[in-house]
Amino acid sequence: MLYNLQHIIENAAKSLPDRVAFSCLKKVITYQELDQQANQLAHSLLNNAHLKGDRIGIYMPRCLESVTAVFGILKSGGVYVPLDPFAPAHRTAAIIEDCNIKTLVTIPNQKKRVEGVLKETSQIQLIIGSETISNCSSIAWETIFEEKNSKPLLEILESDLAFILYTSGSTGSPKGIMHTHYSALSLAKIVAHTFDFTQEDIFGNPAPLHFDPSTFGYFVAPLVRAKTVIIPEAYLKMPASLSALIAQEKISVWYSVPLMLIQLLKSNTLTKYDFSHLRWIFFAGEVFIPKHLKALMEIWPQARYCNLYGPAELILCTYYPLEEIPDAHINIPIGKTWANTEFKILNSQGEEVLQGEEGELTIRSATLMQGYWNNPEMTQKCFHQVNIAQGYQHTYYKTGDLVKLSEANELLFLGRNDRQIKLRGYRVELDEVENILLQHPLVEEAAVIAVKDTEEAQKLQASILLRNGKSLQIDELREFCSQFLPSYALPESITIMKDFPRTSSGKIDRKQIANLIDQPQP
Amino acid sequence: MKDKISNYIIHHIAKQKIEAIHADDDLLADGLIDSLGMMKLVAYVEKEAQIKIPPEDLTLENFMTIDHILEYLANHSTT
Repeated sequence: MLYNLQHIIENAAKSLPDRVAFSCLKKVITYQELDQQANQLAHSLLNNAHLKGDRIGIYMPRCLESVTAVFGILKSGGVYVPLDPFAPAHRTAAIIEDCNIKTLVTIPNQKKRVEGVLKETSQIQLIIGSETISNCSSIAWETIFEEKNSKPLLEILESDLAFILYTSGSTGSPKGIMHTHYSALSLAKIVAHTFDFTQEDIFGNPAPLHFDPSTFGYFVAPLVRAKTVIIPEAYLKMPASLSALIAQEKISVWYSVPLMLIQLLKSNTLTKYDFSHLRWIFFAGEVFIPKHLKALMEIWPQARYCNLYGPAELILCTYYPLEEIPDAHINIPIGKTWANTEFKILNSQGEEVLQGEEGELTIRSATLMQGYWNNPEMTQKCFHQVNIAQGYQHTYYKTGDLVKLSEANELLFLGRNDRQIKLRGYRVELDEVENILLQHPLVEEAAVIAVKDTEEAQKLQASILLRNGKSLQIDELREFCSQFLPSYALPESITIMKDFPRTSSGKIDRKQIANLIDQPQP
Repeated sequence: MKDKISNYIIHHIAKQKIEAIHADDDLLADGLIDSLGMMKLVAYVEKEAQIKIPPEDLTLENFMTIDHILEYLANHSTT
C-alpha cells in the first residue's frame, strides 16, 4: 500500500532493510533503523496524549535526527511544522501560537535557542530530544529509543494533514501552507515518474526542512529507494568545501537554488575533484542567469540540467529539461506542467488569454495545498474556482506569477503581479517588511524596494519617514526589525527621508525612491 | 587583527546580539553568521590583511573560527 508518506519508509524497510536511507557526514541511518526509530517516536508522542492532527514543531538545523522527527510525527498521526532554528525567537513563537504547537522535537545542542523561544511563548508543554528545561517536561532521545519499535496501530488517511510550511505573509505575520499526505505523496510520485531515478542514486539535500525543496530529499529519494545526503549548515557558507563534499559523497542528484550553483561555479573547484557521479542538476526558486548556467553546463557536461518551478502552495508543478547548452541571452522557460497537473493563463478579468499573451498562471494539480492554516479568507482569495456543473468545481491556485506560452508551448516566466520577490532564493513579501517597520512607534511611513546588488542577487532598501519632530537611530530600528524578520529579509540599508516622492493620487512612488537613493542625500 | 575581526563580527554581521566572541568559537555551524555575512567577512579580512583570498581557499578548514582565519593569514601574508 502507498497512500501516506510513512508508507514510503515502511515499504523500503521491508524490501531493502539494510540500505542506507539518509546520511549526514559520518552519521547514517538505514531504512529499517529509520522505520523503527520513527515508530518509537510515534509511540512516545501517542503515550503523551497526542491526538491525530496535533501540530508538532521540528526545531533543529539540518541533521540526521530531522528525518526521524518527520516520519515519527507522521506515524503518530501528527502534523509536523518545521521551525527555522535561525529565525528570531519572536517569529518562531508567533508560528507556535498561530498553529497551537504544544510539543517541540529538537536536539540537545539547541537547548539555548529552545529556552529563547520558551521566553516568548508559554504554550510549549513538552520538549523531545533535549535535556530538562525549566517549566517544561522533556524526554531525551535515549528514552525515546527504549519505546517499542512496532508500527503504531493508527490509520492515517491520504487526506490527513502532513505538514505546514510557514512563509512570508504580506500582512506582517507568516502564513502557514497546509499540505496533506496526498499532495506531498503526489509530488513524490510525479517526480519519480518524470525522471529516471534509481535506487543507486544519491540525492544531495541542501534545503532546510522549512523550505519546500526538502521534499525531494525527504520523500522523492526514499520513494525510489535512493540515499539522501543531508548537507550540514557550515558547508553552505563555504562553497569550496561544499564542492569537495559533493564529490566525496558521490552525489548524483542535486537540487538547489541557482545562487548556490553559481557560488560553486565561482569557487574554482569544479574541475579539482571527481564529479563523474553527477547525473541531474535541478534548480528552482529564481531565474538562473543563462550566462552562468551555460558556464556550469560546460564545466559539468556529464550531468543533465532541469529548471523546476512551483510556489510552495504546489511544491512544484512545471519542469524544463535543457536539451542543449542555452544561448547566453535567452529567458530559460519554466517549461511544461507535468503529470496530474493542468494550467490556465488568465487576464485581470479572470478570462483565459490567447496563445502568446501575458497573464497570471493558475494551476490545478494533485500537489495543491489544502489551504492556509487558520485563514479561510486568504485561502479563498488564492483559489480560482471554475464551475463545471452545480456542486462540481475545479480549483486552481493563482500563483501571482505572470507568464506567457511560447510557440513551442512552453511557459515563460515574466514577473510578478504583486510585491512578492525572491531574495537569494527566499520568498519575501515587501509588504511584510514595510509592515514590520511601521510597527515601530516612531515610524510614520515606510517604503521597501528590492534593488540589484550583484549581478545574481538583489538586496532590500528601506526608506522611512519619522513621526513629526522625532529622531531615531538606524541601528535601533535595525535591531527592532531583527526581532520579527528572518535575517535574509532584513533591509540592507535604511534611509530616513524628509518626504517621499508621490504619485498624483498621493501614494508613495516607489520607483522614484530607487532613483533618489542612488544619489547622495543633500 | 584578532580584535578587529571579532569586533567586525559582533557589530556588523552577527545575526544575534552577542557581547563577545572567542577565537575558537565555531563561526559556521550555528546561525551566528549567514552566507551573506560570511562573504562580507571574507571581504573585510581581505581589506584588513591586504591580501586576495582565492575562492578555492574558502573552506571550513580556513574559516571555521577566528583562530583558523588567523592561521590562514599567517601562512598566506605577503610580508
